Amino acid sequence: MVRKLFLTLAAAASALAISGAAWADITVLVPSGSEGDGLRAAAADYAKMKGTKVETVQAPYANVFEQGANAGATKSGVFDIVLMDDPWIPFFAENGHLEDLTPFFKNAGLEGPDNDFLSKSLAICRNPYNSGPYVCLPYVGNAQMFFYDAAKYKEAGVEAPKTWDDVLKASKALTEGGGGRYFGYVFRGGQGNPVVADFMPIFWSYGADLFNADRSKVTIDTPEGAAAMKTFMALRDVSPKGVESYNANEVGTALAAGTSASSINWPNWVATFEDPSQSKMVGKISYSPIPAGTKPGSSEIGHWTMGIMSASKNKQEAFDFMLWATSPEQIKISAERGNPPVRASVFTDPELTKQEKFRHYPVLMEAIQASTPRPRHPKWPEIENAFGIELSKAVAGTITPEEALKNSQTAVEQITGLK
Amino acid sequence: MLKSASDGTSSTQSRPGGGLEQWAERHLRYLMLAPTVLILLALTIFPSLYMFYAAVHKISPNPDLPWEFVGAGNFARLLSDAQFHVALRNTIVFTVVAVTIEFLLGLGLALLLDKFIRRLTFLKTVLMVPMMLPPIAVAITWKLIYEPQFGVLNEIMYRLGLPLQAWAGDVNLAMFSIIVADVWQWTPFIFLLMLAGLASLPVEPYEAAALDGASSWRQFWDLTIPFLKPVIAIALLLRVMDALRLFDLVFILTGGGPADRTKVLSLYIYQVAYRFADPGYAAAISLFVLFVTIVLSTWFMKRMRLAD
Repeated sequence: MVRKLFLTLAAAASALAISGAAWADITVLVPSGSEGDGLRAAAADYAKMKGTKVETVQAPYANVFEQGANAGATKSGVFDIVLMDDPWIPFFAENGHLEDLTPFFKNAGLEGPDNDFLSKSLAICRNPYNSGPYVCLPYVGNAQMFFYDAAKYKEAGVEAPKTWDDVLKASKALTEGGGGRYFGYVFRGGQGNPVVADFMPIFWSYGADLFNADRSKVTIDTPEGAAAMKTFMALRDVSPKGVESYNANEVGTALAAGTSASSINWPNWVATFEDPSQSKMVGKISYSPIPAGTKPGSSEIGHWTMGIMSASKNKQEAFDFMLWATSPEQIKISAERGNPPVRASVFTDPELTKQEKFRHYPVLMEAIQASTPRPRHPKWPEIENAFGIELSKAVAGTITPEEALKNSQTAVEQITGLK
Repeated sequence: MLKSASDGTSSTQSRPGGGLEQWAERHLRYLMLAPTVLILLALTIFPSLYMFYAAVHKISPNPDLPWEFVGAGNFARLLSDAQFHVALRNTIVFTVVAVTIEFLLGLGLALLLDKFIRRLTFLKTVLMVPMMLPPIAVAITWKLIYEPQFGVLNEIMYRLGLPLQAWAGDVNLAMFSIIVADVWQWTPFIFLLMLAGLASLPVEPYEAAALDGASSWRQFWDLTIPFLKPVIAIALLLRVMDALRLFDLVFILTGGGPADRTKVLSLYIYQVAYRFADPGYAAAISLFVLFVTIVLSTWFMKRMRLAD
């Protein structure tokens, strides 16, 4: 009896081991949502075409960072590739979790990624930023755009918003006439990543930044920062009650339902806005680059990039898949699946640009070229948290905007050890 | 098994070559306990010891850098960490207010329905539903209810001509909103325990008290509460322990905001461990929470013994 049981267990264990080994040649950690779905579909195509089995593990946005960081810290090798949000790259790279891609390019007879990739898309994949070796390849070309209801803006006396003053003028008029049910502007005010993401473009458009050029000094509490904060608070006053807890879904829903006239948003929302089953605003939302403050507007870049984990046991297979998935043909297929491209040839492909659902491509390409990356710092998650708390307090009105800047300056100095 | 050993009829005599079997019989109690001990070691003892070990180290997210021994350094950080103080204060406020409301509502409902519940089994089932739901489903449901522009609560407020509220986004309402959701989910748990307690009360003391002319209030205060004390202690102990590790509702509804008003210890531990990649400090905070939970539990247990 016992012998039979052992035999059964041994057979089961062998079957598991064999099927586990055959399960995947490479494993990719991807986020939930269109970015992960796109890469999962690409992985299935790759398996059919090349015979290499690519397993995708999907996790919610925040968990992708955690699982990737955990795999890196434990050298588990459980993931061969991680699809990363670009501000995570310094953390992964500077803690030794990512593989330098230089030797793989050499083996493939290449000097590096080709010039069809947008320069800003490539710059974030190098560590240090724009100068170091490539540690990833860009896959999804996110950069914020300004979304607005052109008809409503026209009613409020603004033809096409070029500056934040234009936005404020239209938004104020629309909110005042909205009877508490319609608003000129809406933003992500939720504590942490959401409020920081929607504040940064305003911050930059007034010439402010978190650090000076060589990252040797924290520069939040400055006259430029104060000017940006003043505009941000004015935008809060014309936004719906409750934006203090808003994230992307709430902002997207407000625009799609036509209860708010404008916002900063990510391009993957275009598909929702143009889908009659999800939006009352099909064909009515216009797109423009981020408005200017005292300086030209600049959007936050938020690319999804693929990097090889240092502990991967299948690095060459992983690189081959990454090179294939970021080829012009595959980036075009990815765009058709709803993910913004990272290549100039796809942005200007007539087959795509003649379609109504890709009418935002010229604006998006311009936005990426004029974008700014979040500060490239390995402690960015901690910095973002501290800055996000102070911004949340200012939005909620528990501290003054001046206090928020001062407190943020102190907090970021403590985190980074800079003065 | 023990009987055969005491009879002196060795299995080796009856079955040649059965030394292993004899040994197994002699050590059977240990063999039976071994799986439990191993599971405890693997899932409780080892992780706890590892947490102690982690709490006295600074751990880099870079696996090539060694763990740096910092002794009590991580615990000393607790004294000067403003975010920890905020999280501690919010956790205490949440625990005290939520558990008090849940206890009063649960006890009140149990007293109210004690006499009728046998006839109203459907109602009992309905009351149990919230605590059966996964916390994440509860959090998402309340997020939709509280949504300022499209949520059902503000729609009701609008139709009643009342001012619309940013339930989870208002600094003055955010914690209240989380407490309401928690009370909705966990009052049934207290209710169920109280109902079981009430069902087990002896009848005679009440009959004697009624003969002596004691009012319902006196009966409740002098008989029901003392009889229920052990059940009350268990209910409060379980709810306090659970409230101290509140996570799901805060994570989904507010993310700790606005203005840090709903940041609780569990959320902060999660942030420190996973977002800031500082597991040593997160272990120190976790140990602090463990310490508080043990102290509270011990105090509750003593109270329970006093009640007995």
